[in-house]
Amino acid sequence: MLSRVAENLYWTGRYVERAEHTSRLLAVKLESMAEQSGEAAEAGWSRVIAALAAEASADDLGDALSRTEVLALDRGNPSSLLSSLSWARDNARQAREQLSSEVWECLNRLYLRLRPLTIEQVWVHEPHRIFRETLQNLHALEGVIYSTLRHGEGWYFLELGRYIERAQLVSRLLAIHFPADDGAGTSPTYVDWLVLLKFCCAFEPYLKEHTAAIVPSRVAGFLLFDAEFPRSVNFAVGRVSDALQHVAQGAPPQRRAACERLAGRLKASIDFGRIDEMMEGSIAQFLAAITRQCEDIHDAVHAAYIAYGAAAVA
Amino acid sequence: MQHRAVALGKLEVVQGARPAGGDPLYRSYALGSAFDEMFTPDGEVRPHYAALHSRIAALPSEELIRRQQACELSFLHQGITFTVYSDAQATERIIPTDLLPRIVTAQEWERVERGLTQRIRALNLFLEDIYGEARVLKDGILPRTMIYGSKHYKREMRGVSVPHGAYVNVCGTDLVRREDGAFVVLEDNLRVPSGVSYMLANREVVRRAFPGVFRAAGVRPIEHYPQELLATLKSLAPYLEDASIAVLTPGVFNSAYFEHAFLARQMGVELVEGRDLLVNDNFVYARTTSGLKRIDILYRRVDDDFIDPLTFREDSTLGVPGIFNAWRAGNVVIANALGTGVADDKAVYAYVPKLISYYLDEDPILENVETHLCREPQSLSHTLANLDKLVVKAVGESGGYGMLVGPHASAAEREAFAEKLKADPENYIAQPTIQLSTAPTLVDGHVESRHVDLRPFILHGDRTTIVPGGLTRVALKRGSLVVNSSQGGGSKDTWVLTS
Repeated sequence: MLSRVAENLYWTGRYVERAEHTSRLLAVKLESMAEQSGEAAEAGWSRVIAALAAEASADDLGDALSRTEVLALDRGNPSSLLSSLSWARDNARQAREQLSSEVWECLNRLYLRLRPLTIEQVWVHEPHRIFRETLQNLHALEGVIYSTLRHGEGWYFLELGRYIERAQLVSRLLAIHFPADDGAGTSPTYVDWLVLLKFCCAFEPYLKEHTAAIVPSRVAGFLLFDAEFPRSVNFAVGRVSDALQHVAQGAPPQRRAACERLAGRLKASIDFGRIDEMMEGSIAQFLAAITRQCEDIHDAVHAAYIAYGAAAVA
Repeated sequence: MQHRAVALGKLEVVQGARPAGGDPLYRSYALGSAFDEMFTPDGEVRPHYAALHSRIAALPSEELIRRQQACELSFLHQGITFTVYSDAQATERIIPTDLLPRIVTAQEWERVERGLTQRIRALNLFLEDIYGEARVLKDGILPRTMIYGSKHYKREMRGVSVPHGAYVNVCGTDLVRREDGAFVVLEDNLRVPSGVSYMLANREVVRRAFPGVFRAAGVRPIEHYPQELLATLKSLAPYLEDASIAVLTPGVFNSAYFEHAFLARQMGVELVEGRDLLVNDNFVYARTTSGLKRIDILYRRVDDDFIDPLTFREDSTLGVPGIFNAWRAGNVVIANALGTGVADDKAVYAYVPKLISYYLDEDPILENVETHLCREPQSLSHTLANLDKLVVKAVGESGGYGMLVGPHASAAEREAFAEKLKADPENYIAQPTIQLSTAPTLVDGHVESRHVDLRPFILHGDRTTIVPGGLTRVALKRGSLVVNSSQGGGSKDTWVLTS
């Protein structure tokens, strides 16, 4: 596969994942506005904004309407929902011949549906509705990706992008709930932990595993280590590792080794991590290390398969 | 998409006869001096349009509107769009497709096909000649300055041999129908003609909109175009059993990007950009995840000037440094060959009928539009005397630049242009304003006549293949003769009938 096309697919995967994450956070946050008020609701917004827009703070963004506008529809915000979808679509367009018509049309329709919306139109009835609808469409997109593409190299590059992004997004979201400098800001309440599970689509799966006892350490343990839940960091890292086995199979072994070693190391750190130890103080560093290692894998993949030098004529 | 004005200017609508006995559906259908595809001058339906005519009559106008909208939405969702750049805003637009097909009879097509085949043979022989011995210049058929002075003549091509002498492998020739109903050639596009994806996409939606009429009419298929293109490309490297083929695009910002991706997908080959390729030791490679991969044949949609910064424009970032030498060394095939633009320039165009006689010793089957070369004294005086009736075009330009549309220019503009013409007559040609034929077109739920042209696509490798039909472009503004997509032009499906 062309290196550039592989890169386009990788970024398509990442941006689609980011769009899904943004939609879900906004849907859940807007739905839970009824349950929280005052300081708790503000703290909740601060976390959502910290998770979605690295540069902005809650104070800068005004009321719920303008916050939603910035996070969802603002093209000037490079990580807004619409920006993510637009990037995903631009990348998919450049890898168009590797995608099925079903995949392209699903993504294109989704983008064309959101593009003309104004925040007033979103706000007029139930603000969360459009984000729920977008989530459904993104799930449909995941379905056509799974069921209409050959599960070949291109598909694994999509997977690689999606799961690296997911590992980072979930780690970041957890890190916001376990800040390194304890004491500053408002501590999460019971409702916040419940919302965190919903942010990750993890509420029902968590209940099945741990019953309705919602305890911070168990929530963190579940989102980090559960082997079977598709939005846990463990699961995502496993898929990253798996995808790396399947891409660029004709590449020279030494180039493949660099990527696989990094992915293996990350997987091992999660396999041997223990939540009870971390809860005693090291969880913030652990989460930061996951994010950093994901970045290292990203760089290694780029160097090995995308932007390698011309010296290697076969 | 590269669209060029067929003839500029808007002529008055001739408010003549109304067809078909006052059917309200046709209340605004003007039959003028132009040949109409569906109606005879008396307003009778031509036999090959009868089935479509009665089907349209049977559908309520809301249903026609609904089908038209469904078809436009389908184009939008498929991403069959081109991008218009203005300021910082980039807007994606679809090229409007008109649901009503343009129908060509088997006999008419047979003649068009023979004429186009003859023409591409002659043009390829001409290119081989001027990049080789240049007999045609020695024999004085064409003035030397016309070739060696052309900015599209690539001297780097001298002595480069191309497989089967096929310089032009994909050609889009613009045909128009004169008032007398004859198809004539308006322009040859021998460089990187586009529009074939619209031909195929239009067929998809129109067949869905009129399945019954389509089946009953006996329409010749065009869906095999991608296979024929692939076969043509493969025939350029017959010595390679398993040639690796790719489509070279300028990239996603090019207005024909959809078409490039579409053709690559339909042929099952890679779509590459210049930055995906590199030349090493005179071989061309694509950078893949598993290492460098040889490329043997490139169907390039990048213009000559941009394809190799080492040979042509050094500021080009779209090209592949060194690819021209790799080609000269015989290590890669580039289709179309470079330097073909010299043969579709407006002055050479006027000589094509002579070239057909010169190289093939045959009479041209398809005529040209009457063209006066201002370099010839009697043509110049004729042009100057009739500036108010003629369209005068600069030879090396396209897209409507350096052009005077006599009937629509002011006296002062004509006078100023006459001075330019006298100063540099070699640079100009003059043609009468042509009344392109009209075809039925849906406008707000009823049917009106609109001017159309026809661009068939000719493939030429070890043999010549033309899929029956082409892209019918339509000037959607009432009375307009401009089929250019940036100026309100659209397109139609083209049905060539089996009998």
